[in-house]
Amino acid sequence: MSDNRYTLRQLNMMVRDAIEMQMPDEYWVEAELSECRERSGHCYMELIEKDEQTNTPVARASAKCWRQTWMVMQPHFERVTGQPLHAGLKVLLRVYAQYHEAYGFSWIVTDIDPTYTIGDMARKRQEIIRQLKEEGVFDLQRELHIPLFAQRIAVISAAGAAGYGDFCRQLEDNEYGFKFEVTLFPAIMQGEQVEKSIIDALNKIYTNSQKLTANSPMLYDAVVIIRGGGATADLSGFDTLALAENVAQFPIPIITGIGHDRDESILDMVSNTRVKTPTAAAALLIDNLRQVLERLNNAQQRISMAGHIIIDARHRIEMLQQRLSTAIERIMTNQKHRLSQIELLLQGYDPQLLLRRGYSITLHHGRAVRDPQQLKAGDEIETQVEKGTIKSIVR
Amino acid sequence: MNEGTKYEEALAQLETIVRKMENNEYTIDELTAQLKTAQQLIKLCRDKLTKTEAELLEEQTKGQ
Repeated sequence: MSDNRYTLRQLNMMVRDAIEMQMPDEYWVEAELSECRERSGHCYMELIEKDEQTNTPVARASAKCWRQTWMVMQPHFERVTGQPLHAGLKVLLRVYAQYHEAYGFSWIVTDIDPTYTIGDMARKRQEIIRQLKEEGVFDLQRELHIPLFAQRIAVISAAGAAGYGDFCRQLEDNEYGFKFEVTLFPAIMQGEQVEKSIIDALNKIYTNSQKLTANSPMLYDAVVIIRGGGATADLSGFDTLALAENVAQFPIPIITGIGHDRDESILDMVSNTRVKTPTAAAALLIDNLRQVLERLNNAQQRISMAGHIIIDARHRIEMLQQRLSTAIERIMTNQKHRLSQIELLLQGYDPQLLLRRGYSITLHHGRAVRDPQQLKAGDEIETQVEKGTIKSIVR
Repeated sequence: MNEGTKYEEALAQLETIVRKMENNEYTIDELTAQLKTAQQLIKLCRDKLTKTEAELLEEQTKGQ
């Protein structure tokens, strides 16, 4: 037994030889990064494969990328995927096996295929979107409305960010002189802590709102999540299910301005309104108030127009009353005139008038005699003259 | 004619009376009654206008 003893180094050397003999090639391997650290220009990674159902690791190995390769690989990866290599990403790496008697086993990375990671991120995004829709929260934010007088704004941003400065300046310098009340809720806007940091900020905003009295149920009219001014376009932290759920179900409308040219982030998809930049977010808020102002001015104008309608209506009534009086007056004048005419006409027929002028009327049995043939000798007739009656007998 | 009579209806009725007056369509016997109706309509319209005007003014003041 004791004749067959090796030193550890000897034995490890044997492993090394075996591996170099048996696995001399390079291989493309799919794996998830569970760790990824840069040290002295080299990159040290931990690769992991999880069981798809149980999510427990079924394989694990260290990987290293030497400085010469890393210097080229890292910028290439970031340019294509829009983010640096970091834990949690699925990657496709070209590796060869290395066993070092002192440092153990490692895969040495010689190349990476960033399109694999893009595909995987897209698939994950689709999965998150599907899940949000299934939960029925995907469209919740869009059912909210930015209030007419949205002036109290809660901002989630990195405290010293240029984008936040741009946003505040834009709001302050608005040409209409609108006043905005901006409260900053600082958050980390890139890297792995984005999710937790933004959720914390949202919770703080929500808690603050709850302190209010009943007649002002929300302390903030809108929440603005902005980011900008940074060099990197790392948006991976914005594409998580937990963050999307929190944003989607938030009771105050959320405007995102997390600037990027790539695909919409999920955060953008679930927010109430998305714009590209912090400046655009400010412009949106200003425009919202401008529209309200316009509507008010419009209403004011229409009310004074209603005033004109009243004046016109009054005038119409005056005119009608005038016409009424004129008509009545005319009717009365006409009638009176007609009566006078009749009166005059009647007067012309008054026999007394004839008698006064020297005419006389001869009556026989009370009837006017118009023809001498009506009478015979012996008839008694009456002759009326102005001052009396003469009785005579016909001969 | 009652409180519920609408302004436009009242105005139309008033216009009819005036037109008929102008066209001598009423007999003398009808005149007094028609004139009385017309005056009531005028009052109703005027009151309505005054009331509306006051309301508008109030809304306008509120808005400022």
